[in-house]
Amino acid sequence: MPYEWDFSAVFQHFDMLLVGLRNTIEIALVSIVCGIGLGLVLAFMRLSSRRLLKFPATAFIEFYRNTPPIIHFFWFFYALPVLMNISLDPFSAAVLALSTQSGAFYAEVFRGGIVSIESGQWEGCKALGMRHSQAMRRIILPQAVARMMPPFVERSFELTKTTALASTLAYADLLYQAMQVNSETYRPLEVYTTIAVMYLLLLLTASALARVAEHRLTAYGRA
Amino acid sequence: MDYSFDFSLILANYPVLLRGLVVTLELWVPCFVVGLLVGFGLALARLSRHAWLRLPSLGYIELFRDTPVLIQLIWFFYAFPIIAGVQLSPFLAACLGLTLNTSAYCAEIFRGGIQSITRGQWEGARALGMRHSVILRRIILPQVIRRMLPALTNRGIELGKVTSLASVLTVHELMYQGRLLSSTYYRPLEMLSTVALVYFVLIYPGSYLSMRLETRLARRG
Repeated sequence: MPYEWDFSAVFQHFDMLLVGLRNTIEIALVSIVCGIGLGLVLAFMRLSSRRLLKFPATAFIEFYRNTPPIIHFFWFFYALPVLMNISLDPFSAAVLALSTQSGAFYAEVFRGGIVSIESGQWEGCKALGMRHSQAMRRIILPQAVARMMPPFVERSFELTKTTALASTLAYADLLYQAMQVNSETYRPLEVYTTIAVMYLLLLLTASALARVAEHRLTAYGRA
Repeated sequence: MDYSFDFSLILANYPVLLRGLVVTLELWVPCFVVGLLVGFGLALARLSRHAWLRLPSLGYIELFRDTPVLIQLIWFFYAFPIIAGVQLSPFLAACLGLTLNTSAYCAEIFRGGIQSITRGQWEGARALGMRHSVILRRIILPQVIRRMLPALTNRGIELGKVTSLASVLTVHELMYQGRLLSSTYYRPLEMLSTVALVYFVLIYPGSYLSMRLETRLARRG
């Protein structure tokens, strides 16, 4: 017996899915911004010659790169409040999990970009009498940023996909909303297929935007 | 901060975690092996001259890479049985989702590797009278495998991490067992930290291997 698809249930509850989509985008953006901040700090700590700075950053990055994201979500939601004697709402716990995790990955992206600049550039700056911070700001970073773009975009996409895990903490993201719609309509096939397509469209749109941004950022290289 | 840690519960319940670890490995290893094979087939289809092979595999790869893996697992558990007419056990649904997901990523690694070989090699082999499949087997793959090793190891690591999502489908793997224990004893801090540590110990050697392979490859140029 062929299954009869019926999307009317989905369309009736489409407003709920749109709320979920908005929440997904919101949590992704907040976590990307926090992740970039943390990633920058970690990258510079790891590049530092002082072991006191280097070692904790390396340990942090390695820990996050080698443990599954879902454990971070649960740890921040259930374990951290016990440790700190506070309580976190699902949104804060999810943002903490996402931004610490993406911070670790961004740190490697930033570090990789900076390290990839040839040492001759540093030597040239020194010969011109620039200080370390000046060389970094004026010469190294502008070139490194262009090289960081592709892996940065990739990590941000990974992060956006990982936001779906926030649903396990009952944060009302797209997946969680879909679960709600499903429990009202008993149409799992239509509901989950619809949100899969929504995620696909979200990421395809984002990737088109990223291509435009990348094209602009690397414009000087082509001129 | 006056929380008193109590790790004795972990020691008392380590068989529970151990069983979870075994299930995690049962998910991880077969899914990776099958994912590699399917991925290789997909990469060949993706590089094919025939549009009827190329376009479906392109669609498949993009679909699995551009949607969250958690949705894929949930889809295979709740939605797929409706089309297929068979109810999958949580373990099978997780296996199916993880395998197909990882095969899409493997396909891109294989494709990148195969395309990294210059066209001259293909032309030279063809000039010697080799067929397409022979060229691939004798000339292209032997050169490509070493180049792809770091990326494939990385994929294995990612898959290892992703197996934890099977806990959402109530597969009794490490993460699920950890959550079970932490809610049974109201000791989330100790339990979840221990589970995180076990994952780290499980996954880090692969990461280290991939890093070593990459530096060795870079040195050889």
